Amino acid sequence: METGFTSAEKFFSRISGHEARSGDFVWGEPDMAYMHDVLGPLTLDTMKKINEDNVRFRGRVVVVNDHIYPPKDTTSSNNIRYMSDFARKEGWDLVPFGEGIEHTLLIEKGMIKEGMVVVGTDSHTVTAGAARAMGIGLGSTDMAALLSLGKTWFRVPETTLLNVTGNRKKYVTGKDLILKVMSILGTNGANYRSMEFNIARECNLNTDDDLSIANMTVEAGAKTSIIFNRSKTTDFRNLQSDEDSAVTEIKIDISEIDPLIAFPYSPGNIAKASDYAGTHVDQVYIGNCSNGTISDLREAAEMMDGRKVKDGVKAIIVPATRNIYREAIKEGLIDTFIDAGATVSPPTCGACAGLHMGVLAKGEVCITNINRNFRGRMGDPESKVYISNSYVAAASAINGKITVPGA
Amino acid sequence: MSRVFILGDDVDTDAIAPGGYLHLPLEEQKKHCLESVVKDFAGSVKDGDIIVAGENFGSGSSREQAPLLLKDLGIKAVFAKSFSRLFYRNAINVGLFPGTIKGACDFRNMEEVHFQMEANRIISQNSELDIAPPQGIALEILEAAGMIDYARKLITRD
Repeated sequence: METGFTSAEKFFSRISGHEARSGDFVWGEPDMAYMHDVLGPLTLDTMKKINEDNVRFRGRVVVVNDHIYPPKDTTSSNNIRYMSDFARKEGWDLVPFGEGIEHTLLIEKGMIKEGMVVVGTDSHTVTAGAARAMGIGLGSTDMAALLSLGKTWFRVPETTLLNVTGNRKKYVTGKDLILKVMSILGTNGANYRSMEFNIARECNLNTDDDLSIANMTVEAGAKTSIIFNRSKTTDFRNLQSDEDSAVTEIKIDISEIDPLIAFPYSPGNIAKASDYAGTHVDQVYIGNCSNGTISDLREAAEMMDGRKVKDGVKAIIVPATRNIYREAIKEGLIDTFIDAGATVSPPTCGACAGLHMGVLAKGEVCITNINRNFRGRMGDPESKVYISNSYVAAASAINGKITVPGA
Repeated sequence: MSRVFILGDDVDTDAIAPGGYLHLPLEEQKKHCLESVVKDFAGSVKDGDIIVAGENFGSGSSREQAPLLLKDLGIKAVFAKSFSRLFYRNAINVGLFPGTIKGACDFRNMEEVHFQMEANRIISQNSELDIAPPQGIALEILEAAGMIDYARKLITRD
């Protein structure tokens, strides 16, 4: 019996040069590989052990120093120096310092394009799905072997197809959609799989929502993701799963979703945000590779406009890229944040990964629009992190407790 | 014989290799391995010990430091009901054996057990546990003691 191809099968067939079916092991050459200043140095160390003088990978290699940028100490500074010197020596693309967080930035710059297969030394490489590319996270040694060998191996993932319809309520965003998906799949319901979204035009989700959705697919275990959002274009037949392909389908009506929250210590712990209304917060952190977009900043500014951050609360806003930062200045959003008493940070992975610029103290509670709330993720193991959309996080900064606008 | 550390579900890579220390040398990172899950893990783990965990072991970040720190601290093999994809692949690449548990685990924490690799089985005094080893390319890489040696062999062969 002949069956059509899933989206993942189409992508992996192209890069392997053979018909690739779900479950097959294939060798292939991705179109682009990128790495950063925290997991990159181990890649370079390993490359030296394999075959330093012979980089066989023919695709584009990009280095983004974003995780601990600006460097916080001599060790992180040395790491950035190591990455940058190596990139220059090899003739790789070294993204100018401070331009932004890699997953958001490389899409914004048009370096990650529709139809590409990209790999990165970071689990949130799945964010490429927002550009209708397939992004796959690799470990440092896998990246080193890919650069040395010119190819790497993949197990072609099975596909979970999420069909999303309905009109969303006010204050519901793409973040709530992906949190809803987490409540269905849990933290490993898409393990080893590709998550393909088919989002109806009526959902009225924009490309920034797509970033937020694609980014957190890895929290359900996904190997890769791809987002077909019909608010812009409708014909994705070349890339999407054929109607007669083997997929597991899930239907979601976004009109039934209220603002959601992931409570400690797992992005799979999902409840209505209103269930946690009134919970005291010490810190509010808005912006990372999933939700540091201009849409997020607009949503946050809408909540903070003309108001003041509650006394004793640390409110930290992190535009994901320099261009987003500039646009926020033009629109007056940065003025709104400063007037409200928030701190605006340069683009960096920062405290989202517990690295710098807002690390939590013992016992502190943070509400944020980032992607992970594991124990100790943003600092002390005794701190607590709640994940929500940007409206809820910003409204909570004003009240000093978890607040759902419109509720 | 190995001592077994029994861990629960969803042990994430931030727990195994906390983000705040990732930019530091491995020797420094090791001291913090699993510190939020097992009291003084780094101080108490001995060469040859194993881990038996629940579902979704190694979820989260792609950081290869997670299996690397475990291996460097002496952990011989990690067994779980299921693994997160990135941890599984990284463990194979650094030469740390990841076995998938089949059936219920009756071992007690810190009990002495014996991993019989050829028989795909772990036995203790009172109980035994079947495991499924990696397959295909993954097994070939593991048998080469990790991706570095495997890649070197591929380069020599070409």
